[in-house]
Amino acid sequence: MTSAALILSLLLSFSGFAALALSLDRHHRAAYRMGVPRARVGSLRMAGWCGLGLSFAASIAAAGWDFGPVQWIGSLTGAALAVVAIIAFRPTWLRNAALAALPLAAVAVPLALLG
Amino acid sequence: MSARAMPTLADRAAVAGRVLLAVFGGYAVAALATALLALILPGPRAEAVSAGTLASFAIMAGAVIWVFAARTLGRAAVVLGLTALLLIGALWLAGAFAHGAGA
Amino acid sequence: MAWLHTWSGLVVGWVLFAIFVTGTASYYRTDISHWMRPELSATALDPAAAATRAGAFLRRTMPDAAGWSIKLPSAETPAVEVYWWPHLDGPFHRALLDPATGEPARVRDTRGGDFLYRFHFELSLPPIWGRWIVSACAMVLLIALISGIVTHRRIFADFFTFRRDRSAQRGWLDAHNVVGVLALPFHLMIVYTGLVTLSATLMPWGVKAVYGDDVLRYYAEAGLATPGAAPAGGPGTPLPLGAIVARAAAAGGEVPEVMLVTQPGDAGATVTAYFEEPHGLAHLHPQIAYAADTGTEIARVGEAGAATRTGAVMAGLHEAHFAAAPLRLLFFLCGAMGAAAVASGLVLWTVARAPKGADPAGFGLRLVRFLNLGTIAGLPVGLAAYLLANRLLPDGLEARADWEVRAFFAAWAAAALAASLYPRQRAWALALAVPGCAFLAIPLVDAVLVGQQRFLAFDAAMGAVGVTLGLGSRLAARRKPAAARPATASLSRTVEA
Repeated sequence: MTSAALILSLLLSFSGFAALALSLDRHHRAAYRMGVPRARVGSLRMAGWCGLGLSFAASIAAAGWDFGPVQWIGSLTGAALAVVAIIAFRPTWLRNAALAALPLAAVAVPLALLG
Repeated sequence: MSARAMPTLADRAAVAGRVLLAVFGGYAVAALATALLALILPGPRAEAVSAGTLASFAIMAGAVIWVFAARTLGRAAVVLGLTALLLIGALWLAGAFAHGAGA
Repeated sequence: MAWLHTWSGLVVGWVLFAIFVTGTASYYRTDISHWMRPELSATALDPAAAATRAGAFLRRTMPDAAGWSIKLPSAETPAVEVYWWPHLDGPFHRALLDPATGEPARVRDTRGGDFLYRFHFELSLPPIWGRWIVSACAMVLLIALISGIVTHRRIFADFFTFRRDRSAQRGWLDAHNVVGVLALPFHLMIVYTGLVTLSATLMPWGVKAVYGDDVLRYYAEAGLATPGAAPAGGPGTPLPLGAIVARAAAAGGEVPEVMLVTQPGDAGATVTAYFEEPHGLAHLHPQIAYAADTGTEIARVGEAGAATRTGAVMAGLHEAHFAAAPLRLLFFLCGAMGAAAVASGLVLWTVARAPKGADPAGFGLRLVRFLNLGTIAGLPVGLAAYLLANRLLPDGLEARADWEVRAFFAAWAAAALAASLYPRQRAWALALAVPGCAFLAIPLVDAVLVGQQRFLAFDAAMGAVGVTLGLGSRLAARRKPAAARPATASLSRTVEA
C-alpha cells in the first residue's frame, strides 16, 4: 500500500537525517550541550547514510523504479524538514524521536511490502 | 555586499547590457541550438524534435549563466555571437534554409 | 553570483510567489472544484447516454464549431463538462451539463479550482501574454536556483541549520536556505518541467525546423496525438456520440475520459476518444479516433519514443496526477516550501537593507516592503475571498463566476493597500492576521450555508491554513519586542547617563 510505503521511507529517512545532524558539532551541542565526541562521528554518519539508503531501498521495493525515486526524494524533503524543526524548537527531543521512528518503521515494513 | 557604494552610470549600463544580452542572446542561442538538434539528432525525426526541445531550456540557462559569469560584457557578447554564428552555419549545412522548413 | 541570485530573485519574486501559491493549490484542483459546486453529488451514471445528450446540446449550441470537447461524467466529477470553440484559437466556451438531461446543470456558476490552475500559468491575462510572463519568471527562477547553489557554499555544513534565536537577518537567511535547499530537487524539477509543459509556445523552433507549420504532423509522429483528417466540405449524418463512446469503451477496455469532436458540422468529422493515463509517471493519454458518420476506427495514437516519453514524464511530474493522497501531500508541502523560499528571500532583501539607527528608509526599500506585504499577505486574503464569495454570493447573480474572480482581486488589492497603512512595527502581524481570520471563517460559513459531511476534510484543511497564518502572525508580533529590547535598553542607559 502506498501510504504505508511512504510512511516507511519517511520514518527511515527521518532517523537517517537525525543521525547525520547529530554527527555535526553544532546540532550535537544543541541536543546534548556538548560537541560530538570524535569517536561517535563515524558511527553516526554510518547510521545516517544507512537510514537514507534503507529508505531508498524501501521506496523502490514498494513502489518500483518509476514511482520509487519520486517517493524517496519527497520523503527526504519531508523528513529533513522535520529534523530541522525539531532542532530549532526542541533539540533535546531529536535523539528519542529518531530512535522512536525505528520500531514504527519496523511495523510499517510488512504493511508497505505486503499490503 | 559592496553595493552600498553608489554605482556609476557605466556600471548601470554594463548591467543593463548583460541583462539584454542574457535575455535576447540566450534565447537566440537556445532557439538555434534546438532547431539544429531537431535536424541532426539520429533516430526518428519526431524524437529528435522532442529531444532538442527538452534540452532547449538547459541550453538557455547555460548561456545566461555564461553571460553573467564572463569577466567582461564584451567577452560575453563575442562568445555568444560566435556561438550563434556557428549554429547558423551548421543549420545552413543541415539544410534548414535550403528548401524551406518542413519536408 | 550572489549578486545575480539576489537581484534576479527580487525582480520576479512577487509573480513567482503567486505562481507557487496558486500552483500548489492546484494539486487539489478537483477537490476545490467539488467544494465550490456543492450541488453536484455522485449519481448512477451512464456515460454513453450522457455523451449523446451532450452532443445534442452542442449541436444546438454551435453546429459549425471547429471543435467540441466532452468530458464524460465519472464517479469523481458527476457532471458533463463541455467546451466548444468556433476557431482553433478560441474563444473557448464552456458549460457544465447535467448527465441525466443534457441541459446546463443546476449548479452555482463558478470557475472552481480551474481559476487557480489557469492563474498559475496565465495570471488571468490573455493566455499568450500570461504564459510568456510566467515562463520568463520561470527561466529567471532557474537562473536564480543555479546562482543560489553556487552562492551557498556551505550547503552540507548548514543543511539542518535554522538559527531563529539570532539576529533577524541570520534567521531569515537560514529559513531561506532551509526551505530552498531541503526541497531543492523539487524546485529544480518543478521549474524545468514547468518550462517543458509550455515548450510548444516558448520553443517552437525545433518543430518549425523539421515540420514547418505542420505541428499536428509532429504530434502524430511523436505519438502524442492521432493524425488529423481533412474536412469533406459537406454536412454529414453523424452517429449519436453514445454509440462511439460504447465502441471506444469496448476497444480501449475502459470508458474514455474525454471525447473530442473536430469539425462537427462536416461529413469528415472525427471523434477522438481520450482514455485516462495508464498507471505511470508519464502524462500520455491513449487515444482512438473514429469517423463521426460511420463509427469506424480511423487511427490510434502511436507509441511514443524515449525522448517524447521523457517529456511526457516531465509533464507528469509537474502535474502529479499520478500521486495518491499521501504523496500528493508531500508535493503540496514541497510547493509550499517553494512559496516560502520566495517569500523568505523577498523579506531577507528588506531585512538585509534595513537602515541602521535613525536613517529614513529609501524609496526602493519602502516599495519592496509594500510589495512584500501586499503579495505575501495579500494573496492569501484574495484566495480566502474567492472561496468565501463562492458561498456568500447569491445563486442567481448575473455572471456569478466573474464576481467570484472579482472578489479575489478586489480583496487582494484591498488587503495590499490596507497593509501599506499599518504601522511598520506591527505590519506583518496585522497583515497575516487578516487572511488567518478569513481562512478560519471558511469552515464556519460553509457549515452554516451548506453543511455537508463530505466537505469536512476540506473545511478542516482551510481551518489549518488559517491557524498556520495565525501562528505566522503571532510569530511576527513576538519578534518585534525581542528585536526592540536591546535598543530600548541602550536608550535607557543613554538617558541615565
